[in-house]
Amino acid sequence: MNEMEKQVYFDKYNRQLHILGKVLLAVSFIAMIGFSFVAGIIFNAMPDLGGFLSGLLNVGIIYYPVAIVEFLVYAPMLGVGGSYLAFLTGNLTNLKIPCAMSARELSGVKPGTPENEVISTLSIASSAIVTTIILAAGVLLMTPLQPVLSAPVMQPAFNNVVPALFGAFGLKYYLKSPKIAVVPFIIMTLLCIFVPAVQSNTSIAIIPAGLMCIGIGAFLDKKGKLGDL
Amino acid sequence: MDYLSQVNAPTLYLMVGAILTFVTVMCVFFLVRSYKVGIAIGMDKAVLKKTIRNSAIFTILPSVGILVGVLALSGVLGAPLSWMRLSVVGALQYELNVADIAAKALGLKELALEYLTIEAYTTISLVMTVGILGGGLLCIFMLGRYLKRFSNKPKKAESAESAPDAPKKKKSNLGNIAMVAMFIGLCTAYISSYIGGFANDTSNYLPLLTAGVAAAVMAVFTLLSKKLKWLENFDVALSMLIAMASAVLAAYIF
Repeated sequence: MNEMEKQVYFDKYNRQLHILGKVLLAVSFIAMIGFSFVAGIIFNAMPDLGGFLSGLLNVGIIYYPVAIVEFLVYAPMLGVGGSYLAFLTGNLTNLKIPCAMSARELSGVKPGTPENEVISTLSIASSAIVTTIILAAGVLLMTPLQPVLSAPVMQPAFNNVVPALFGAFGLKYYLKSPKIAVVPFIIMTLLCIFVPAVQSNTSIAIIPAGLMCIGIGAFLDKKGKLGDL
Repeated sequence: MDYLSQVNAPTLYLMVGAILTFVTVMCVFFLVRSYKVGIAIGMDKAVLKKTIRNSAIFTILPSVGILVGVLALSGVLGAPLSWMRLSVVGALQYELNVADIAAKALGLKELALEYLTIEAYTTISLVMTVGILGGGLLCIFMLGRYLKRFSNKPKKAESAESAPDAPKKKKSNLGNIAMVAMFIGLCTAYISSYIGGFANDTSNYLPLLTAGVAAAVMAVFTLLSKKLKWLENFDVALSMLIAMASAVLAAYIF
């Protein structure tokens, strides 16, 4: 197969992948959204529209810009098949991207080539299958632990799962760039101590804290004082 | 039927099992199809097999880390939803944060077992799902057009990879800074709220203590992972579990 034939063959394959990928994502998303409604029907507790919209607004402000950046940066690395699979199966930054990059390094293919697309799709698909198998096995093994997990003595653990996340996650990000963190941290802490309304409305406090950090980050970057993150 | 029994109901396991089976079958299909295409365009079989094998091995440790995350999440949101969220689209840091934001939007004090009801659960699960679909929706509506800019101009793509490519690099760096800054802001809002909560009422010490222990353990893991690279796969999830255990211990002692 010469280069021309290869490109024609590969374009046809990519067109099929686009159709299949769109169907795969659409069906999966409908099924995932359906989960909440079926649970609502089973337990006679349908999702609350007001709460949903209000929650989505707060979540969307943070996560939709993240999704756009991730899409713009990662999609060209992953190619057609790899993108559909990676954006469906998630765990992008902590697993799928490093996995695909490592596969590319090992195989020595160049980005933007059909070979890279094949390697990327193989890598993401294998990774997703392995994760699904490990999680399924783990969840089955975990089932006998349910009575232990729901014992009253264990409740402080699950009442504090969010602080545990932000303690660990916070340190990781603060170490990435203490210069961005220090001023917003002082301001937000003082606000939370002296204005209790701020302390009890964390989901709103995220907005000024995030904007402050982005502003400081952009300023430091412009001044060339940030370095690589 | 109490909340935890409801969110761990066998029907929910079956639904999640069905969704994940569908996704896995499709992954297998993509895998087989791209393997055949690789052969057809003249790629070496050994390279393709090596890619599959190495990617599978590469995935094992991070997946165990993700499983630990499922364990942490399942005590609040039940195993089926946690299993689904971390198998499809999700990531641990996203799920917990979004679940907490959704819980507060519903008027709950926080995402904690003592406040959760099955009504809140269905709404929270919907916010968690819809809130993370951004990347997937962009793939559905934009991927073809966006990738055309790269795949139809291989020379440009190649030169972008090998040449100094200053403008491209700068662009992705700014995006990266904005993302890191946004997450720093997110963590700052929460951590300062724990400090404020404790300063205003010292009996409210558990969130600050838990966050503090998680940060301390994370600091140790960060130091250790310079020598033990594999620890990076577990650092967040294990720091969380140790901090949660410390909350149980502190509540028991004090």
